[in-house]
Amino acid sequence: MSALLWALLAVPLGGGAALAVGGRPADRYAPASALAVSACALGLAVACALTGPEVRAPLLGGVPAAFAVDGLSGLTAITVTAVTLVVLVFGTVDIGPGEARSRFFGLMLLFSGAMLATVTATTLPALLMAWEVMGATSWALIGYWWRDTERVRAATTAFLTTRAADLGLYLAAGAALAGGHHGAGSLRLDALPQATQPWLTLVTAGVITAALGKSAQLPFGFWLSGAMRGPSPVSALLHSATMVVAGAYLLLRLEPLLRASGWGGPVVAWTGALSAVAFGAVALAQRDVKQLLAGSSCAQIGFMVLAAGVGARTGGTLQLVAHAAAKSLAFLVAGFWLTTLGTRSLPALRGRTRRHPTTVVAFAAAALTLAGVPPLALWATKDVLLSAALADSAALYAVGLVGAVLSAAYSAKALWYVLGPANEPSRPLPPAVRLPLGLLSLSCLALTALAFPPAIDSFARVVDGSASEPRTWEFVLSGALAAAVVAAFLDRGPRSAAISPAWARRWLGLEAAANRLLVRPTTRLADLLGAFDGRVLARAARAVASGALVLARWVDRSWERRLDRAVARVAGTAGLLGGWARLPQTGLLHQYLAQAVSALLVAAVVLVLVR
Amino acid sequence: MVFRFDSMARATYALLLALLCVGVDVLLLGLDYLGVVVVLMMTIEMALMAAFMVMFMMNPAGLAPMSMTHNRRGAALLSAVVFVALAAGALLTPWPSRRGDVPPDPTRQLGRSLMGGQMLTMMVLGLALFATIVASVVLATRRGRYDRFGDDLRGRPAEPAARGGLPR
Amino acid sequence: MTLELVLLPAAALFAVGLYGALTQQSVVMLMMGLELMLGGVVLAAAAVWHHVAPVAEGQVLIVFAVTAMAVEMAVGFAVVTALFRAREIDTTDDAAKLRG
Repeated sequence: MSALLWALLAVPLGGGAALAVGGRPADRYAPASALAVSACALGLAVACALTGPEVRAPLLGGVPAAFAVDGLSGLTAITVTAVTLVVLVFGTVDIGPGEARSRFFGLMLLFSGAMLATVTATTLPALLMAWEVMGATSWALIGYWWRDTERVRAATTAFLTTRAADLGLYLAAGAALAGGHHGAGSLRLDALPQATQPWLTLVTAGVITAALGKSAQLPFGFWLSGAMRGPSPVSALLHSATMVVAGAYLLLRLEPLLRASGWGGPVVAWTGALSAVAFGAVALAQRDVKQLLAGSSCAQIGFMVLAAGVGARTGGTLQLVAHAAAKSLAFLVAGFWLTTLGTRSLPALRGRTRRHPTTVVAFAAAALTLAGVPPLALWATKDVLLSAALADSAALYAVGLVGAVLSAAYSAKALWYVLGPANEPSRPLPPAVRLPLGLLSLSCLALTALAFPPAIDSFARVVDGSASEPRTWEFVLSGALAAAVVAAFLDRGPRSAAISPAWARRWLGLEAAANRLLVRPTTRLADLLGAFDGRVLARAARAVASGALVLARWVDRSWERRLDRAVARVAGTAGLLGGWARLPQTGLLHQYLAQAVSALLVAAVVLVLVR
Repeated sequence: MVFRFDSMARATYALLLALLCVGVDVLLLGLDYLGVVVVLMMTIEMALMAAFMVMFMMNPAGLAPMSMTHNRRGAALLSAVVFVALAAGALLTPWPSRRGDVPPDPTRQLGRSLMGGQMLTMMVLGLALFATIVASVVLATRRGRYDRFGDDLRGRPAEPAARGGLPR
Repeated sequence: MTLELVLLPAAALFAVGLYGALTQQSVVMLMMGLELMLGGVVLAAAAVWHHVAPVAEGQVLIVFAVTAMAVEMAVGFAVVTALFRAREIDTTDDAAKLRG
């Protein structure tokens, strides 16, 4: 039983590591073996989700590294492995035979394996390790074409931003250890809510920070824009089922902790809602398809975070699964266009996308799903979580609705460009592209069923969530809103497509703000410290050195001479005494005799006097 | 008085006289045997000494006035100090009164002790005398057997034995 | 014949012998001085034996001294003979160096 779970973790991580270090010689076999590993992992994920194994290995004293598959993590694991498989199938086309395929596929497998470890981890140390591996591989993947410094810089930005937020998890782990009497001290995730105050607050704050950073929510979202510079399969995987979802997933899993802390839930919910609105606006303002999709990712994940904040585990998980399908589909199509048409800009795409009609259909499916148009999946899942928000507060529901309208708007904007008039003859698609597009389009439709009875009840049972069944008017309202917005946009076409306020196009200036508030002060401080080091410390060191020299010279002048003279005097005295000692040795017998007699005489006198 | 004479022979006789006086004194002190031994030994010794004088000294008969001395003042001073010290020792030491009597026959006493308790002393003295004889001969001979015959004594004489007498 | 009366001449003999040993250049005369010194020793020992402790050890001491005289004479003359043969030396001043 537990062997299944070990295998689930070991297969993608081991295969990925082997491929990643395989180097160019392994390029020829990389795609096939990666697909095999990925398919194997998908099978293992399904098996684990059905059996629900738990494993533990000793790690630190009293703190094991434990992994387990329950409903929530099982579903997520299946989503992750499925999306990985689909994306890798597409990757065999997108990353051509000339590229370093072994490195690419290896890193992708490592990335998804780390995500699997993240979702199955049940103790903080195991979670932290997986979390870190995921961050590191995301850096390596975004900077995959490392000869381009811009891409590497984007990768570094992404890595540093998420990494800075990750410190929250370390804070949480430390606080849990500090505030852990019997329960939280073991660093088990389900024991974290038992931490005592004030540690509980620290744990909550740390977890929330790390999750928001990883999920590119306010105020961290800007790194996702740069992450678009990576290869399209990377974007597809990173935005749909791995990296950015990890934060939302963590919040969904630690929902009891948010509830226990009292303030965590509302904060998270409002952050998610506001992120959905703000990044919806950002997405609406983009003129580049991948940037638009990135903004959309932040916005959609905002809904999951909102769900976690209001305790709607069911809605959040549904949203996660459905969004993974839709977003990976959208990215695959965008990546395919980028590879074949060589552009990401929406105006440049207009009309040329008809070269491959299938891609247009697939993108339309993805975009309408994202827009929340009935009967596609996200329409229903969003309503499930929004109904939970409505139960919490009407204001939250209203903001969520605004976010939903915005997502309809940006999806329609992208769709208007894509559905432009044909100006090129159509060509067939390679099967390695057609298969994933078809599969994902189908799942966008099929996943809708999960949001309705009876499926939703069993789903809620699986993920330990409450099945807050939305009322019919909510479904109708959101569906109608989305359909109306999409119709209006497509109708008004160019004028609505031109909506692009600068503040939103520049991602709310978040990166500039981060630069101004954090990066520049840090570098300034580093410069200051460097100057301090160079001017003060180095000078002090040099001063000490020259002082030592001066001291040495002084000692040489004053003491060394004296010492020298003393030594010379001792030597001279020894020589003099030696000379004196030679004096009695005249070689004259009678003088020896006299000396002996004198010595004996003295000895006798002394003897007599002493006795 | 020994050292006032120019003539070596006379000096020798003076020394003999002095030592004979010592022997007589010893006799007077009741040590008959030892006194006789001293007297005899000194007589022979002085005869030998006279022979050596004739061998080694420049003025055996004292026909020319000469002095062969050095460092007289220091020697005089040193010997005076020694004499004073010894005399002071002799005079100032509170000599204890005699323990026991002078034995009627000191010669018998000496003999018994030499052949009894002091046997080790006697043997050491004998060995020393024997070693002296050997050493003196070795030192004094001009050329030993090994010089004449080489290392292997069984060989023929390398050259005839050296003629005695003075080197010519 | 009190003890002091004998000891004083003994001391005088010793001192005169010492003077001779220190002053004479001729080896033979030097050895005469040594003989005189030992004579003084013999005399003193005899006196002490007679007046203080008439035990056998005193006599043995005298025998010892007399033996020393004889040994000294023999070895001394042998050494002088060897020296003379080797380097024509008969005074102590000439023998100041170990090698001629």
